[in-house]
Amino acid sequence: MTASASGSNHSLIRLTQVVKTYDSGEVPFTALRGVDLTVEPGEFVGLIGKSGSGKTTLINMITGIDRPTSGEVLISGTPVHALSENKLAVWRGRTIGVVFQFFQLLPTLTVVENVMLPMDFCSVHLPRERESFAMSLLEQVEMADQAHKLPAALSGGQQQRVAIARALANDPPILAADEPTGNLDSVTAEAVFVLFEKLVAAGKTIVMVTHDNDIASRVARALHVHDGEIVDDIRRP
Amino acid sequence: MVLPPRWRKVARDLVAHKLRTILVVLSIAVGIFAILVVMGGRGILIEAFETNFPKSNPSTAVLVTTGFDQMLVDRVARADGVADAEGRRTVSLRYRPGDVTGQVDPPVQVAVAQRQTSITLIAAKDWAASRIDVAAPQGSTPWPPARGEIVLETSDTQVSALRPGDFMTVETASGDKKLLRITGFVHDINSFPAMFVGQITGYVTLETMADLGVDAGMDQLLIKIEKPGLTRAEANRIVSRVRDDVIAPAGVRTLNTTVPEPGSHRLGDIFKAVSILLLVLGVMALALSGFLVVNTVSALLTQQMRQVGIMKAIGGKRVQIGALFLSLVAIYGLLAVLVGLPIGAWWASWFANFAGGLLDFGPAAATPPAYTVALAVAVGFLVPLIAALLPIRKGTRVSVVTALNATGMSGTHFGHGLIDRLLGRLRGLPRPVALSLRNTFLRKGRLAMTLMTLVLASAVVMSVGSVRASILTTVSDVSKWWNYDAEVNFARPVPAQLAERDALKVSDVKSSEGWLASPATLRRGDGTENTRLGMIALPPNTSFITPFLVGGRWLTDADTNGVVVNTDVVNAEHLAIGDAVSLKIRGKDYDFRVIGVVRGQMMGPVFFSNRAYTERLLGLQGSITRLLVRTGDHSIAAQDMTADRLDRTFTDAGLVVIDVLGQARMSESFANQLGILVTFLIIMAVILATVGVIGLSGTMIINVLESTREIGVMRAIGASHGSIYQVFVTEGVVIGVLSWAGGLILSWPMSLGLVWVLEGAIGIPLTYTFSWEAVAGWLVVVAAISAVASLIPAFNASQVSVRDAISYE
Repeated sequence: MTASASGSNHSLIRLTQVVKTYDSGEVPFTALRGVDLTVEPGEFVGLIGKSGSGKTTLINMITGIDRPTSGEVLISGTPVHALSENKLAVWRGRTIGVVFQFFQLLPTLTVVENVMLPMDFCSVHLPRERESFAMSLLEQVEMADQAHKLPAALSGGQQQRVAIARALANDPPILAADEPTGNLDSVTAEAVFVLFEKLVAAGKTIVMVTHDNDIASRVARALHVHDGEIVDDIRRP
Repeated sequence: MVLPPRWRKVARDLVAHKLRTILVVLSIAVGIFAILVVMGGRGILIEAFETNFPKSNPSTAVLVTTGFDQMLVDRVARADGVADAEGRRTVSLRYRPGDVTGQVDPPVQVAVAQRQTSITLIAAKDWAASRIDVAAPQGSTPWPPARGEIVLETSDTQVSALRPGDFMTVETASGDKKLLRITGFVHDINSFPAMFVGQITGYVTLETMADLGVDAGMDQLLIKIEKPGLTRAEANRIVSRVRDDVIAPAGVRTLNTTVPEPGSHRLGDIFKAVSILLLVLGVMALALSGFLVVNTVSALLTQQMRQVGIMKAIGGKRVQIGALFLSLVAIYGLLAVLVGLPIGAWWASWFANFAGGLLDFGPAAATPPAYTVALAVAVGFLVPLIAALLPIRKGTRVSVVTALNATGMSGTHFGHGLIDRLLGRLRGLPRPVALSLRNTFLRKGRLAMTLMTLVLASAVVMSVGSVRASILTTVSDVSKWWNYDAEVNFARPVPAQLAERDALKVSDVKSSEGWLASPATLRRGDGTENTRLGMIALPPNTSFITPFLVGGRWLTDADTNGVVVNTDVVNAEHLAIGDAVSLKIRGKDYDFRVIGVVRGQMMGPVFFSNRAYTERLLGLQGSITRLLVRTGDHSIAAQDMTADRLDRTFTDAGLVVIDVLGQARMSESFANQLGILVTFLIIMAVILATVGVIGLSGTMIINVLESTREIGVMRAIGASHGSIYQVFVTEGVVIGVLSWAGGLILSWPMSLGLVWVLEGAIGIPLTYTFSWEAVAGWLVVVAAISAVASLIPAFNASQVSVRDAISYE
């Protein structure tokens, strides 16, 4: 089954016949079986499915964290599947902000330093301006008062807000989040979701993996993944 | 300027992981230390030698002659080809420490053995004006010594307790006792260190010599030839000409001519051996610290794999991330240099002074030469960076998804290899032990690196042990050469029957044997001569020595002109069995043929011949110059007593005795010479063992740190502290024992190689002995270190809460 295969040629995200097979075990395992997908700018897309359905593999294809065995991944016209690991890192740094389930902040850097790190890597903003940009991002996620603490001193929800601020550091058009609320209590998860809605309203495109049905029912477009295929594409007005 | 966050990460990583930082810095610092002590110590030693030896303006030739005066010295100095000449008077006399003449009130006693021992006295016309073989007075020593005063050589302190202000009673040739006051020390780099000859050397004036009943003339002529690229053969020719054209016409007879290799030192061979040994071990220390660094950097990257993944995921380029780790390594290097350099330099200076003292090379510099410091700094800086390149390249190439999935419990690949399946099949082991064994083989790449480092360290330590054992066996073999207790050397040939009869009068003497010993000169094909040889004629079936045959055969009663040479002759003259040789003995030339080679005894190059034939040849039928005796008690004390009695008996009988030597003291002197090498080897073994021990501890500690997450999991499923310790201590000991076993195998060829290098340097074949003591000792050290080094971090890790352990980065 294809999802919006008829999307325009100028789609922000366009996956064509993406197959991913893992050879590491005794028997090769196919995680994605020829997925087609297009996402337009400003969409809030949820990838929904059970554990092992292939949703994380699918989002990893979009972020370039993992490579397809076959098929094409075009993001803003860039053939992500064909980029070298190095070009990919730079491209990702500027184009996609990644949010992980386990936050993945660097333990030895403070909150604000974690947010500044992508700017540092990708040479975005002047070095002396980076801190104030990072602070304004932290204000957006309501974490400015914790800016000089180390991640270990924060709760899970706070760490995830910092991770979102870090994902926004280079002002990327796309935010890719893998189970961003999976490790949070319901109140905190709600706050993160509201934050995402605000970002979409501000023009960002968000692709989010979740198995939380509550949240799945609130995204603008829900893609249900099962056994490596997109089995349902539900849009809400 | 504000430091960008990624550089702040480098700084924080250093501070946050203190134990790891200390370990890595220590691993590199210990490499710097080892290189500096070994190479720097060697450098200081060479520098001391190269400064002090030329400063003494060493003689080109030393001629021992009948008496001569200053006029002859001046004439020799003006001779063609000679740059300068100087005369000395040398005499060997017996002395006792302290005053036994009753002249000093109150009587002076010195707390050393009261046995009469020998001292070589050297006198010059004017010590202050000496230009050849110049001796350097130390500290405030009055120089030249006044009449009745004596200055000792610095190395005398190694064998004697005499100090400035002490008195010694010297027995003159006529039996009178004269008192000399010791006023200080002088360093004479051209003398043999006291420990080597077991005899001290003192410097006096010609007036003091006369007071001691020694006639006023001089008997040792030092000749200096100055010519760029002077060869030994050339020097020999010039000296021969001087002897024939200047010395002989003056009515002075030359008894012995010594022309060493120009520019060479008496202890050149031993020094060369020490130097080569230090170089070889220095290179090994270098390799060892290189391995250590590769090991620690790989471990570091494994540990930070997930962070590499995150940084890549948020836009970090490979070059940027690589630069982060390289700068981390560079800072480790900098810290290591700061720690290792001063400590290493201090120990290098200590080591050089210690070694310089043994070899009597004189005052040494306090700091290692610049090139060794540069080498150590390069090792501290560049080796870690170069070593880190490969693991960094590998670590930063990993795809983001692999990096992010690194859990610190990388067990996914276990179970496929042969070893894994074998370990899996081991049944009946307690669960924690099985876990330890399987854990050990979990990260095979890392295990291989760890093992390589530790195997090398183990091999070096055990090899050094075997080299030491080989030297000790050789010393013991050589001691077996002497099957007698004392030897008496006579100034002139004496009737054998008379000497043997008198010897048996001395209580405790069981049997005796007479030899004819004489200096000999070898005439080479090119007309040059080797005058530093000895000829010993002895009964072929003698039981007083046990020759250690290296080639050919020993003498028989039927032998006439067949001679057996020792390895010193072979090394000096490149003779082979079957070669014809022409020897000048007691002024006449004789032809001999080499029939066998025996091992040298550090008694110089010697030819052995059949006594019956040789005494007829020399016209000395029934005469001997050396008498060997055997007694019932072989202790040093008993031998000394017998020596004293023999001396008195022969002197009373009117025979002129040069010296009486106890056998135990002779073998002690030989053991002392090789003992210097043993001492060096032990120092080196300790240094390399330290590198090994620190490397072992570092590896163990990093291994456990890497397993912090695993410890969390084990704790979460109910493991007690005790069983966690058991798992890691077993793992540590398994790695330790594996490296010991690998080192054991490698140490065999390595020690063979080291022994071979040593043999080449000192020119004595060594009896190779594999040291099982070193093997057992190292096993104990390795097991203990692995256990302790795993226990400490395992203890620390088990104190961490389960939650923190699981989220450990």
